[in-house]
Amino acid sequence: MRHWWWKVLCVLLLVHTAVAGLYIPLNPGLVHVSRNSLPPERTSISLTGYNTHFASCSSGNNAWLESGTYRYCLGTAKAVSETRVDLNSAAPPAAKDGMWTVVVENDVDGMLRLQNALFVKGSGVNGSDQPCPALVPMNSSAFMFHKGFPNRSILNETIRNLFFHVPMWFSMITLMAIAFVFSIKHLRSGSLDHDLAASVAVNVSLLFGTLGIVTGSIWARATWGGWWTSDTKLNGSALTLLMYLAYVILRGSVPDAHKRARLAAVYNIFAFMLMLVFIMVLPRITDSLHPGNGGNPAFSQYDLDNALRAVFYPACLGWILLGIWTYNLRLRYGRLNALLDENESR
Amino acid sequence: MRTKVASLFFLFLLSALPAGSFAQEAAPAWVEETMFSSGKMTTVVIVVTAVLVGLGVWMFAMDMKLRKLERRLKK
Repeated sequence: MRHWWWKVLCVLLLVHTAVAGLYIPLNPGLVHVSRNSLPPERTSISLTGYNTHFASCSSGNNAWLESGTYRYCLGTAKAVSETRVDLNSAAPPAAKDGMWTVVVENDVDGMLRLQNALFVKGSGVNGSDQPCPALVPMNSSAFMFHKGFPNRSILNETIRNLFFHVPMWFSMITLMAIAFVFSIKHLRSGSLDHDLAASVAVNVSLLFGTLGIVTGSIWARATWGGWWTSDTKLNGSALTLLMYLAYVILRGSVPDAHKRARLAAVYNIFAFMLMLVFIMVLPRITDSLHPGNGGNPAFSQYDLDNALRAVFYPACLGWILLGIWTYNLRLRYGRLNALLDENESR
Repeated sequence: MRTKVASLFFLFLLSALPAGSFAQEAAPAWVEETMFSSGKMTTVVIVVTAVLVGLGVWMFAMDMKLRKLERRLKK
């Protein structure tokens, strides 16, 4: 029990990640408006929602236009299905030019916003507020639906990748830190076992780094529009992997065991420092498509809400433990191999 | 030796990645359709599959290493 409790914990955390991370629904959200501009004459528009309750809500659906603090009521929308409402309205007679936010409100889903959804060509000045008639207060049992994951435009369901992409990097960094510690230990002790531990940690960290880059690439295609963008963090992580691959090649190209170990340890210390710069420092200095970069720390209150946190933190711990577990298996294999080498050479 | 060749190959592949960002080509239509369908849920499925496949490949590699070790032990 003493030796494997953390392995049980790892499995439990990953089961939690898979079940909660894939099962918890997204909050309702607006995803599509059938037109991109609203003319001054009456026009029919249809709005598409996701996980919404347009038809089954008891209040009916109000539709608004919003720009800053100004609100203009488009009227009551006709629910065609749970996820579609139709409207027949015109642009506000007095309105500011520009992109307006479309809002749909009902008693189950609350206020659903789609930012910059419609272009309105108006007179240039907003008239007085024209609010929609007040709805009955929010149905408290239906409010349960808002315990799901946030429904962000563009991200949509892919917000779940947070539990399968980000922790890969945390696992990789943990393993690289282990390698860093063993490299320093090797330089102090000269023990070949410390060198073995460092090299195994680098090997396994490359597995997780590769998984991170592959999952990131797939996620980027669905949200940023390309398999690879020249984002600072992407190039930084690619450089990190290249650097650590060079470590593997460096180790493989020196025949003398003690010389190899010392050389690899020194290289690894520099590589770890550069890794920190490439993926932790540089992306925070310049702009990056990744959230929490360009000056703001990650884990910020704007990037994560509590529903995400309840899955994300266990997921991080689970994946890091899995990284340590795979490292452990590989190290035990490496030690047995080294023992066999020793016996054979005797 | 084999790990060295594999790492060199991987190194080559990785170094080509950033170059690809300047020649962004659209993926085939069916890939786009699959990835963007049902609120982009399929993308999540692909990501989870990629992680499992990666871990599976690692398991097979480890399995082969252990088999080699067992063979040496028997000698």
